Amino acid sequence: MIVGPVKRLAQVLRTSAWLGWQVEANWAEPWIFLMYAIAKPLATTLILFFMVRVVSQGHANAETFRFIFIGNTFFLYVTEVLIGISWTVFRDREDYETLKYIYVAPVRLLPYLLGRAFTRVATATLGVLVALLFGRLVLGLTIGVPGTNWLLVVGAVLLGLLGVLWLGIILAGISLVVARHSMNLNEGLSGLFFLLCGAIFPLDVLPRWALHLSLLLPFTYWLELLRRMLTGRGFAASLGRYGDGDLWWILALATVGLCALALVWFRGCERIARERGLIDWKTNY
Amino acid sequence: MNLAAVYARASVRVKASFRERSWLLGETLFPFLAMSAFVLVYRGLRAPREYEGFVVLGGAMIAYWNNVIWGMASQFFWEREQGQLQLYLITPVSRMSILLGMALGGMAMTTTRAAAILTGGILLFHVSLPLERALPAFGLFLLTLGAAYSLGMILSSLFLLWGREVWHTATILQEPVYLLSGFYFPVSAMGVGIAIVGSILPVTLGLDGIRQVFYGPAAHGLLPVRWIPPIQIALTAIFLFVSAVSLRYMENLGKQEGRLTVRGD
Repeated sequence: MIVGPVKRLAQVLRTSAWLGWQVEANWAEPWIFLMYAIAKPLATTLILFFMVRVVSQGHANAETFRFIFIGNTFFLYVTEVLIGISWTVFRDREDYETLKYIYVAPVRLLPYLLGRAFTRVATATLGVLVALLFGRLVLGLTIGVPGTNWLLVVGAVLLGLLGVLWLGIILAGISLVVARHSMNLNEGLSGLFFLLCGAIFPLDVLPRWALHLSLLLPFTYWLELLRRMLTGRGFAASLGRYGDGDLWWILALATVGLCALALVWFRGCERIARERGLIDWKTNY
Repeated sequence: MNLAAVYARASVRVKASFRERSWLLGETLFPFLAMSAFVLVYRGLRAPREYEGFVVLGGAMIAYWNNVIWGMASQFFWEREQGQLQLYLITPVSRMSILLGMALGGMAMTTTRAAAILTGGILLFHVSLPLERALPAFGLFLLTLGAAYSLGMILSSLFLLWGREVWHTATILQEPVYLLSGFYFPVSAMGVGIAIVGSILPVTLGLDGIRQVFYGPAAHGLLPVRWIPPIQIALTAIFLFVSAVSLRYMENLGKQEGRLTVRGD
């Protein structure tokens, strides 16, 4: 009974992922695309490296940099995937003018968008892996401690990534009912999360009101959990009262909450977009 | 007629930037948020306060560099996508006047964003910018903009014939340039060799000079500040000459290959 729909879902995800890959990567030689995928994480890593080094007068504080490095590296998932999903809506709707054809095919929009996000997840994963290798081999950082359970690290990354995906679906829902230039909003939200979740600095330097906002974001707990797993100790004193188990629970509950909210929100936005005739809207004026 | 073309192309940008409120918000508040994260890195490291000033000045300069990339270099690509490029080509005006109009309009448009970053940095982070040194810094800033937008004109002609790779190339010219130009730290920290390579980009030396004017030796300058204005003037002259030659060559090549009206996506 269940096999049919699941098989169908897998088929849609696979096909839209393949389509996403073609759209993103078929314009270039693989090595150019590889350069594009790794340029941003490597450059940002080096910017932070030199920022720490210049302050410590030539003697980089390796421990501090390690925390910054881990946060910055894994935050790449948020920027790539969050912006990528909503950008797909604008590109398909207005540049390729293909969004309307999803509705004449036996495909639902939501799984299609999740499949399209695969390319961004793959590109971000490549960027994260290259940055981690660069940190280990070139910058001499220790990634992981003797007690690090790498399977749990992968699990934590996937759980956080799920949350990012559902948040991306919420933004994609908004994108369905707003004009193209609202892309600024999505990029701005990514910048806001970068600031508030303490990706590259300890949360404790945030003003009190911003710290309260930070504690509402699942990414704050996600990055802290990853830092603890990979360095053996916490970074943010504000999260010191939470054990690792607490962080897992908070992250899991936030992901379930985001999933439920995204499903309801996206369905509502999709209905409004269809009622108002926005599925083939062009706003690139 | 060419002056009228410069004015017309520039005024479109200036008016458009104030017409769409969401753009205004996106161009001022959101870049400020990203820049703030880097200020807080220095605060977290308990760095001397002038380092926060380095970031704020770098954040303002990033606004202009992004405009050079997305508003100058890639602009002819977008114009071609929208069918506007051919209209430029049938008008009896110099292509350089269109580019100059784009540059002047882009500078005006981006100044809103840069001003928001500077004002926000001063008010929220209490970054100190000694106002008595603002005039020489502003002079150096204008020379830097001249050279940076002249480079944008060269890139514009190179991007003219490209297809979808424009998007990705422009992306590659962001973070790696933020690194190479020392937008968030003194460029000399990377070593003299790399810093000299980075100085091919006018924003590198411009930012280095402006920081030296404001913060003196604490800016860890790469070159003596008196060397920088003549270098920027020379770069502007060279870039303008190369862009005129390059634009003519690329336009002819595009006509021969029939690529000036082809959509790249």
